[in-house]
Amino acid sequence: MFEEASEVFDNMFKSSFPLTFIVFIPAVLILVSPLPAEAAHEFTVYRMQQYDLQGQPYGTRNAILNTEARTVEAEVLSRRCVIMRLVDFSYERYQKALRQSAGAVVIILPKNMSTMPQDIVQQFMELEPEMLATETIVPVYFALEDDELLSIYTQTLTSSSSQGSSSAAEVLIHTATANGFQMVTSGAQSKAVSDWSITSLEGRLAGTGGEDLPTIVLVAHYDSFGVAPWLSYGADSNGSGVSMLLELARLFSRLYTYKRTHAGYNLLFFVSGGGKFNYQGTKRWLEDNLDHTDSSLLQDNVAFVLCLDTLGNGDSLHLHVSKPPKEGTPQYALLKELETVVSSQYPEVKFSMVHKKINLADDTLAWEHERFGIRRLPAFTLSHLNSHREAQRSSIMDVRSVSPSSRHGAGEHPAGPHVDLRKLSRNTKLIAEALARVIYNLTEKGAPGDLQIFTEQMQVQEEQLSSVVDWLTAQPRAAQLVDKDSSVVSTLEYHLGRYLKDVRRHYVKADKRDPEFVFYDQLKQTMNAYRVKPAIFDLLLAVCIAAYLGVIYLAIQHFGVLYSLVRRITAPKTKQH
Amino acid sequence: MTLFHFGNCFALAYFPYFITYKCSGLSEYNAFWRCVQAGATYLFVQLCKMLFLATFFPTWEGGAGVYDFVGEFMKATVDLADLLGLHLVMSRNAGKGEYKIMVAAMGWATAELVMSRCIPLWVGARGIEFDWKYIQMSFDSNISLVHYIAMAAVVWMFTRYDLPKSFRLPVTVLLGLCVYKAFLMECLDCTAKAILTFYCFNTFM
Repeated sequence: MFEEASEVFDNMFKSSFPLTFIVFIPAVLILVSPLPAEAAHEFTVYRMQQYDLQGQPYGTRNAILNTEARTVEAEVLSRRCVIMRLVDFSYERYQKALRQSAGAVVIILPKNMSTMPQDIVQQFMELEPEMLATETIVPVYFALEDDELLSIYTQTLTSSSSQGSSSAAEVLIHTATANGFQMVTSGAQSKAVSDWSITSLEGRLAGTGGEDLPTIVLVAHYDSFGVAPWLSYGADSNGSGVSMLLELARLFSRLYTYKRTHAGYNLLFFVSGGGKFNYQGTKRWLEDNLDHTDSSLLQDNVAFVLCLDTLGNGDSLHLHVSKPPKEGTPQYALLKELETVVSSQYPEVKFSMVHKKINLADDTLAWEHERFGIRRLPAFTLSHLNSHREAQRSSIMDVRSVSPSSRHGAGEHPAGPHVDLRKLSRNTKLIAEALARVIYNLTEKGAPGDLQIFTEQMQVQEEQLSSVVDWLTAQPRAAQLVDKDSSVVSTLEYHLGRYLKDVRRHYVKADKRDPEFVFYDQLKQTMNAYRVKPAIFDLLLAVCIAAYLGVIYLAIQHFGVLYSLVRRITAPKTKQH
Repeated sequence: MTLFHFGNCFALAYFPYFITYKCSGLSEYNAFWRCVQAGATYLFVQLCKMLFLATFFPTWEGGAGVYDFVGEFMKATVDLADLLGLHLVMSRNAGKGEYKIMVAAMGWATAELVMSRCIPLWVGARGIEFDWKYIQMSFDSNISLVHYIAMAAVVWMFTRYDLPKSFRLPVTVLLGLCVYKAFLMECLDCTAKAILTFYCFNTFM
């Protein structure tokens, strides 16, 4: 406030001195002092998801906005931009804004989401799918909070909540001093992105000992999902799965380099894209390999497919199957080995098999293994989550780590979804041990349950896991943002290429006539908040200026009167000389 | 409503000039073209000043907080050209004293208004963003009208040979103030700041 006042003073003094002192300073002080003056503030906003899946539209349909800002407490919300903070966010308020046909909704998120308290995170996570399920024509934006945005919010709050309750004089003063804000986005209307290709990567480790070896496929999808694509970092789901896959690739490629440990199984690693959009990458890969190619590892002897999904936390492991494995099959062997390893080496982990039939009538498939199941390949998904409907699989609150202050006491349920590195490395070792026991047939050969293979030089490298997870969560990996030239894809390709052979890319483009998925652009915008005055203010100003001009006119017309007045005041002094 | 706001500022800035022109009797003397000539002289004088400043006063590379008194003093002295310009305009106009003063001042002030305030108002006041500075700029132009009238009057008085001796000194002082007022304001500002920081420093030490 003081800088503004001194700037005004400087300008005045440079132009004309005495008159400004008498006339202008009181007026300026009255008009400038009540609120700190705010200029236009530019900030980045991230739009809510907009996509069509199998013809069904989801999310917000609109991108442009040019409306005045209000908060939820205001009475009139129609055609206004409603600003809410995350701490005050609730579904009823959101619905209220939509019911009153608001022009837009902007939700302000704290800069560091890991410091949010647990219940707010939980509540928001549950609301995300509901917000996406209802198709809204109103653009919904998310902005990260900073000081200026917060002050804009508080100013809007005070002016919104004081709207209906003051006298005429207060309203007049209010119009002169209050600041309204006009929110304007700079982009265009959103439109569908044509020819977006989702990239997936595959690599293999060939087994030894003849043709027609059984194949084990390890799959993890690398993309993330959240209510806003640019804010979805997907740490646990599925950054943990990808980092575990890379670590398994490293370990087994090491084992396969030595002739003594080169096993008789082919290992196929697949990092799929579009996983959160009903596993598009996997679906097309399967079609290409099974329908369009003559010979592929997937057509011949597939022992089983293991999908890794959300394994970075938690003390339980669930093996999700669509058909319980029959005895004597490799899937059954894996199930038994997992149970063995858990019971003898990791008693703190609760392991169970979850049987869920594939329901083709559902909008989307539950887990990635169901895609393989539909094509009659034996598959399961490992996850620490019990149900595929868990909110944290598709939430922007899934971040790399949470601060200790937001956790409850030790022993209680942990805070928002995040990756716990020790648990991730424990899970990696667990799965690696179980896989090794299946591949090398250790139980039949009489190896004890607590035989540990991956120790000393072969041990799971926690730093490797940590750096991969850190790198993955450093950028948003929504499927709409990762195209084939993206650095995520090329770095993953490079990493896979270090350990595996025949690393190949696989592209999925939506079908032209009946697209399975359609993405839209304008997901990140720059929004400007302009300080505006209410319309009455201009009228008030016009009246004041008209009055002022009238006074000037009268003064000039009757200048003689003024002059003689001045002379009469100064004359007695000269008469005395 | 932002075009309305531009209209408000425009009215605030221009109408007093218009009223002054109409009501001070200048219109009876068909002084319009003489005012325009005065405006042209203003443009010419400003151009000369700018060239002079650009040529002889290189950018001063010194500390950011220290005020270059001598440099700014020399720059302010160039504003004497304003006075000379006013004198030139007035000497070319035959007529009574008031006529000369009013013509010179009106033309000068109008030219300054058009040159320095038109474009900021057009560009800024029409935008979505509201800022008090446009109202302030328009009000400023009113004050500068009065200021130029006073300045022209003082210059005219200075050049009169029948000015009483007792008035010589105040007139000269006023002329000096006209030229150096910006510089004096900066000096006062700097000294006030220095005294204040010195005082605060002493209080807290």
